[in-house]
Amino acid sequence: MRNPWAQTGNYRTRYEQDASIFATHRELVSLLLFLGFLLVLPQFLSRTQVFILDLILVYSIAVLGLNITTGYAGLINIGQAAFMGVGAYTAALLAPAGLPFYLVLPAAGLTGAFFGYLVGIPSLRVKHLYLAMATLAFQVVFEWTVGHLPLLNQGGAMPLPRVSLLGYEVGFRNHYHFWYYVSFAVLVLLALFFRNLLRTKYGRALVAVRDNDRAADAMGMDPGRTKLFAFALGAFYAGVAGALYAYLSRAVVIEDYTFAVSIKLLAMAIVGGLGTLVGSFLGPAFLELLDVNMEALSNLIKALGFSVAGVDVASALRPLAFGLVIVLFLVFEPRGLYNWWRVVRSYFRTWPFRY
Amino acid sequence: MAQLAVENVTLTFGGVAALSGVSLAVERGELVSIIGPNGAGKTSLLNVISGFYHPKQGRILFEGEEITHLSPHAITQRGIARAFQNIELFSGLTVLENLMLARHTHLRYGLLQAGLFYGRALAEEVRNRRLVEEVIDFMELEPYRKALVGNLPYGVRKRVEVARALALSPKLLLLDEPMAGMTLEEKEDMVRFILEIRARGTTVILIEHDLGVVMDISDRVYVLDFGQVIAEGRPEEVAKNPRVQEAYMGVEA
Ligand SMILES: Nc1ncnc2c1ncn2[C@@H]1O[C@H](COP(=O)(O)OP(=O)(O)O)[C@@H](O)[C@H]1O
Ligand SMILES: [Mg+2]
Repeated sequence: MRNPWAQTGNYRTRYEQDASIFATHRELVSLLLFLGFLLVLPQFLSRTQVFILDLILVYSIAVLGLNITTGYAGLINIGQAAFMGVGAYTAALLAPAGLPFYLVLPAAGLTGAFFGYLVGIPSLRVKHLYLAMATLAFQVVFEWTVGHLPLLNQGGAMPLPRVSLLGYEVGFRNHYHFWYYVSFAVLVLLALFFRNLLRTKYGRALVAVRDNDRAADAMGMDPGRTKLFAFALGAFYAGVAGALYAYLSRAVVIEDYTFAVSIKLLAMAIVGGLGTLVGSFLGPAFLELLDVNMEALSNLIKALGFSVAGVDVASALRPLAFGLVIVLFLVFEPRGLYNWWRVVRSYFRTWPFRY
Repeated sequence: MAQLAVENVTLTFGGVAALSGVSLAVERGELVSIIGPNGAGKTSLLNVISGFYHPKQGRILFEGEEITHLSPHAITQRGIARAFQNIELFSGLTVLENLMLARHTHLRYGLLQAGLFYGRALAEEVRNRRLVEEVIDFMELEPYRKALVGNLPYGVRKRVEVARALALSPKLLLLDEPMAGMTLEEKEDMVRFILEIRARGTTVILIEHDLGVVMDISDRVYVLDFGQVIAEGRPEEVAKNPRVQEAYMGVEA
């Protein structure tokens, strides 16, 4: 038999093997090593640094969901933050009632999915800009409703209780570390779930309605049902992410789930690479780290008391950098960071042989 | 009883009749061709049969069941498959994935099984993959299996279009100009495929401009002109029909 470790190409001989996710042993091992690295990483970081990783993980889950709806199924959604909000408020209502977090998370996903299904209904009739308006309408209705509901404290802070797991109390010192591991596990689980879906009829159906919904119809699949499924599944991921965000910030406030956040999630998906699984992690990581660095830089500028013609350069820096990066990506690398990753990977696939 | 019966079908687009009072009957296992000049309504007839358009008048029966107002996917599920005249493939997917999509309704597993890719889902994928590989072998598409459809040359895409319809395992196959724009060699291959498909027991309705091919391989021929059937019968009968010769003057040499 061939030495599987020296394998640089695809020598699959059975359909079962062809259906497997990793082309080579090396790829699988590299991924496992990387996951192992992520598991020990927080032990070497400060609480604030772990908090940033927490945000990246949680946003990755929401962006993965957005990629399902918009990237894979091609249904534009500019209300993903509202679906996160639905999940967050589900957590804000269920957690104080005593439901443990590991039940709150799937419940938040299901409420998200339910609203995703409803919001998806216009996608049966309209496309493109009109669908964008429909999802925007949901975002607006969500914000307005929360702002007027006494049950949801009219958008003001709704605290979440402390959690515990198997007698392990999560307190101030280990809060961010705890949610790092929970978010990490949830992200790996949900990513694996979707990666599996991609090699089954559910995944193919998403791409089919994106590429050609007439032909999808001729294949015997109901394009309408597939679109509703794409919305529901994408919103499920958002709902779970919203609940995690709620636990992470110990409270739910409407500001965390506004239209601006929806745009941020869309930007993350585009920068990472729309319609790619890996891009769902690269985009949030890149934009969050950029934001942190710009914040540090702007604090530095503030400390130096530097200003140009009375303009507050420091506070303008973060939104400017964000906008600039998105424009640069749209113009120069519309396929996103995924494309860079692809190039690097194909280099290492043949390494150490070069030709 | 005919396997497919189109009865007195009329289809209009904003007052203009694409089909007026068209009737057609196809027996199980037949190879029936539809000919006629451009704009005669041939594609419209296939659109009505496959549910993309619904007729203003008349009805369509497939194996005794009325399918006139069913949606395309419901009609596909009943065993009618279609290869489009203007290739309608999933260009962002590989040949293999395009054909696996045709197995969509045959893949029986649930969302959770799919997400875990375990047991039932894996077994069903492998079983249907085997079937798709047979179609790939049959249509001689082996070299293109993993190629993105969007990157393939026209002639090959035409063949993938037919292969995908075949992967639906249909009882009735509708082919809309499958040889248009092909080289002579590609055409000969396609004729061979169509004859083989028919020999395996699948009913075929073929739209084709090349009268030589049509007269050679069809059991019966329908001639459409201005949305009406102007002649019907065995190839040699139709060829002698004066109205057909008139309709084809200047259109075909
Ligand atoms: N979607 C449509 N909208 C308006 N007119 C159409 C449409 N589809 C077909 N037609 C008209 O119906 C007639 C028949 O077209 P078609 O069935 O494509 O002819 P053929 O396939 O025989 O060339 C033509 O006059 C065409 O312009
Ligand atoms: Mg036509």
